[in-house]
Amino acid sequence: MRIEEHPILSFERGRKVHFYFNGKKLYGYENESIAAALVANGITQLSKSLKYNRPRGFFCGIGKCASCRMRVNGVPNVRICIENVREGLEVETQEPLAELPSREFDDKGIDTLECDVLVIGGGPAGLCASLEAAKSDADVIVVDENFKLGGQLLKQTHKFFGSKHEMAGKRGIDIAKELEKEIIENNRIRVFLKSSVFGYYESDHGHLFGMAQRLDDMSEKVYKVKCKSAVIASGASENFLVFPNNDLPGVYGAGGVQTLVNVYGVLPGKKVLMVGSGNVGLIVSYQLLQAGMEVKAVVEALPKIGGYFVHAAKLRRFGVPIYVSHTVKEVYGEDKVEGATIVEIDKNWREIPGTEKRIDCDVVCLAVGLSPSVRVVSLTGADIRYIPEAGGYVAIHDDCMETTKRGIFVAGDLSGIEEASIAMLEGKLAGLYSAKRAGKDVNEDKADEYRKRLEELRAGPFGERGRIAKEKIRRLWKECH
Amino acid sequence: MKTDVVIIGGGINGCSLAYQLSKKGIDVALFERKYICSGATGRCGAGIRQQWSTRENIILAKESVKIFSKLSRELKEDIGFRQGGYLVAIHDEKELKEAEERVKLQRSLGVDVKIIDKDEIKEIVPILDPDGMHAIGATFCPTDGHADPFKTTFAYARRAVENGAKIFTHREVSKIIVEKNKVKGVVADGERIDCNYVINSAGAWSRIVARMAGIDIPNRPLRKEAIVTEKMKRVFDAMVISFRDGIYFSQQSEGNILGGIPGPDEREGYLYQPTFSFLNHMARTLTRYAPVLKFVRVLRHWTGFYDVSPDARPIIGEDPNIKGFIHCHGFSGHGFMLSPMVTKIISDYISDGKDSDYLHSLSIERFKGKDISREVSVVG
Repeated sequence: MRIEEHPILSFERGRKVHFYFNGKKLYGYENESIAAALVANGITQLSKSLKYNRPRGFFCGIGKCASCRMRVNGVPNVRICIENVREGLEVETQEPLAELPSREFDDKGIDTLECDVLVIGGGPAGLCASLEAAKSDADVIVVDENFKLGGQLLKQTHKFFGSKHEMAGKRGIDIAKELEKEIIENNRIRVFLKSSVFGYYESDHGHLFGMAQRLDDMSEKVYKVKCKSAVIASGASENFLVFPNNDLPGVYGAGGVQTLVNVYGVLPGKKVLMVGSGNVGLIVSYQLLQAGMEVKAVVEALPKIGGYFVHAAKLRRFGVPIYVSHTVKEVYGEDKVEGATIVEIDKNWREIPGTEKRIDCDVVCLAVGLSPSVRVVSLTGADIRYIPEAGGYVAIHDDCMETTKRGIFVAGDLSGIEEASIAMLEGKLAGLYSAKRAGKDVNEDKADEYRKRLEELRAGPFGERGRIAKEKIRRLWKECH
Repeated sequence: MKTDVVIIGGGINGCSLAYQLSKKGIDVALFERKYICSGATGRCGAGIRQQWSTRENIILAKESVKIFSKLSRELKEDIGFRQGGYLVAIHDEKELKEAEERVKLQRSLGVDVKIIDKDEIKEIVPILDPDGMHAIGATFCPTDGHADPFKTTFAYARRAVENGAKIFTHREVSKIIVEKNKVKGVVADGERIDCNYVINSAGAWSRIVARMAGIDIPNRPLRKEAIVTEKMKRVFDAMVISFRDGIYFSQQSEGNILGGIPGPDEREGYLYQPTFSFLNHMARTLTRYAPVLKFVRVLRHWTGFYDVSPDARPIIGEDPNIKGFIHCHGFSGHGFMLSPMVTKIISDYISDGKDSDYLHSLSIERFKGKDISREVSVVG
């Protein structure tokens, strides 16, 4: 179901187009992903699991979970959440092990691209890194898998806190638009959308990456990308939670729901159970209320609410119960979520029998944290360590955001889970020093300013985790050197 | 610490030896610098082939297949062994003559192998394009196959531990103690371990290990690369190889297509970084063989190391000068498929002093003379 009226958002859906799903003619909009258009058409099952053929639905919405793979125009295993709808596309569900491609394409050869700084990821960190490097006269290529720039800013409809330099008071979607405009106007920056960096290779000078760009006819064009330095800002993926039926269509990542509702104006259902009361859980619950959904409850395993008081208070005013010391016992339903049972837990995380409550819902939304998407940076040979406070495996880096692999920088959630304002500042630092590594003269006074602002953002109680993570990372960096 | 045998290297050969020796009641301690399968074993194609050019390799491989086929039962774990056959491309008349010779030898030794034509190639592996392969035919042996290198090695390791073997991972042997030309022990992480035998099954690192005992071996580590594609519905069972192009590929039970080829930038050394030139060369050759794979994505690409001996044949048996130092290396890319038989020969020698022709023909001493007969049926 598509949202027709929204208190703060107007959806730029673009032209109405027709496509085929398993031979049936459906409509969507040219700015929608295929996955969003299917959900809007009431289709909840997108794929089947490999081992037990269980139904799988929309989960992450940003190309990370692979539960939406389908055959598009004869090409199997297409992640339809990062592929835009086009007139006449033939979209088909596939068996877990797909049939071989049934199409032929021309050989497009391999082209070589050269730049000073390659930026992988077009979210807040990547866009700021690109701009900063370009301002220091570096030629930049920025790559993103999605069909638009902005990363997770695109779905952040709330106003940012923090410093005015990082556009506090503005909504994430507006920040994305401003950054995108600056990027497009900057002739030192080349943008490659629908493009994936797939490998890091031996090279005599600088760094060599492989990149594949998805073309409109569903073929791919392969590039060798040679750069003097690289900023990797590949973000994070959503964490999962273990309970019976956690894979039923209707169990969404909170970010996936935000993508559907805030980016595409498509509702995943009518009644939602939110799991997790951190800022993401609270903000997304409020956004779903704004969009016209009913939030049945928020459950939190810890004995207190995780996020800002102001966000929780908003929910309370709408009468949404927030159950602390509670968790999901199970989700039930045949091919999709038809309800859930929550249960109270004691200090030792054990369920307390007799405290079960049935929640009538068709969406269960998991807002239980993120894990850094560390794969591309790990290809480069940078030292990767497990740091719980950073959200998992991260690349060890110094205060210039450079990893143990010279010339390879990280920024944003990939370097430790924090929030968008911090990602933007880390992006600026990484952009500045990657330009320096590429041989450009840079103004390092700016870096001190960025570091100061990062410190301010991490100063509060909610910045504590990030602060500890970065202290550990810095300590490990010193051990490595 | 004190033990009978110290094994250096936790790959297929080290773990198999730990199993076989411990089964005979011999005290064994295995030292692995990283983790089980971290070297070539965990990076290999794990094909099992009996189609060789020398009598010696044919028999070793054939006997190994016999052991592999019963191994899941013996180790009480599925090792993923399956016999989908090996299809070896024949590209011209000269190769056909050589193939006829080989097939004659292989058949005389009891290997079920035959020469097939282009139509039969397509019957066995429907996605192959014999013209694109530049093939006029092939040899095919249906009892060749594949096993899962991780499952096999870990099964050996687990059963070895149950038999009382000690397996130490993330522990590096830094010194081998030799007194009066006899092995006395090793030092690992500062601890001395007394022993009567040291087995060098360190794969591409065997040269470094041998040097600790003052032995020079002629092996060199060669960087090899491999790729695996996304999972697709199973369409063929055989391993396809060509000695001319050097390519090998097969579809894994999980649906991924795994393969390798000698890359244009192949070099000696412990180089972990893959090369773009390999990816390009592999993709171009693979899709010439099987055009339908043009639009299948590569999922992973990695490097591993062949432990290459001068004649591409393994080096096994006790060192002629240092008593108690046992060679088990130089497999040149074929360590997995030959391991069952080779480790059996070595463990029989250690436990019962049992001799074998192979302990002579594959001895390190063969490099003293000039007469090096090289195995030519090599791919990857």
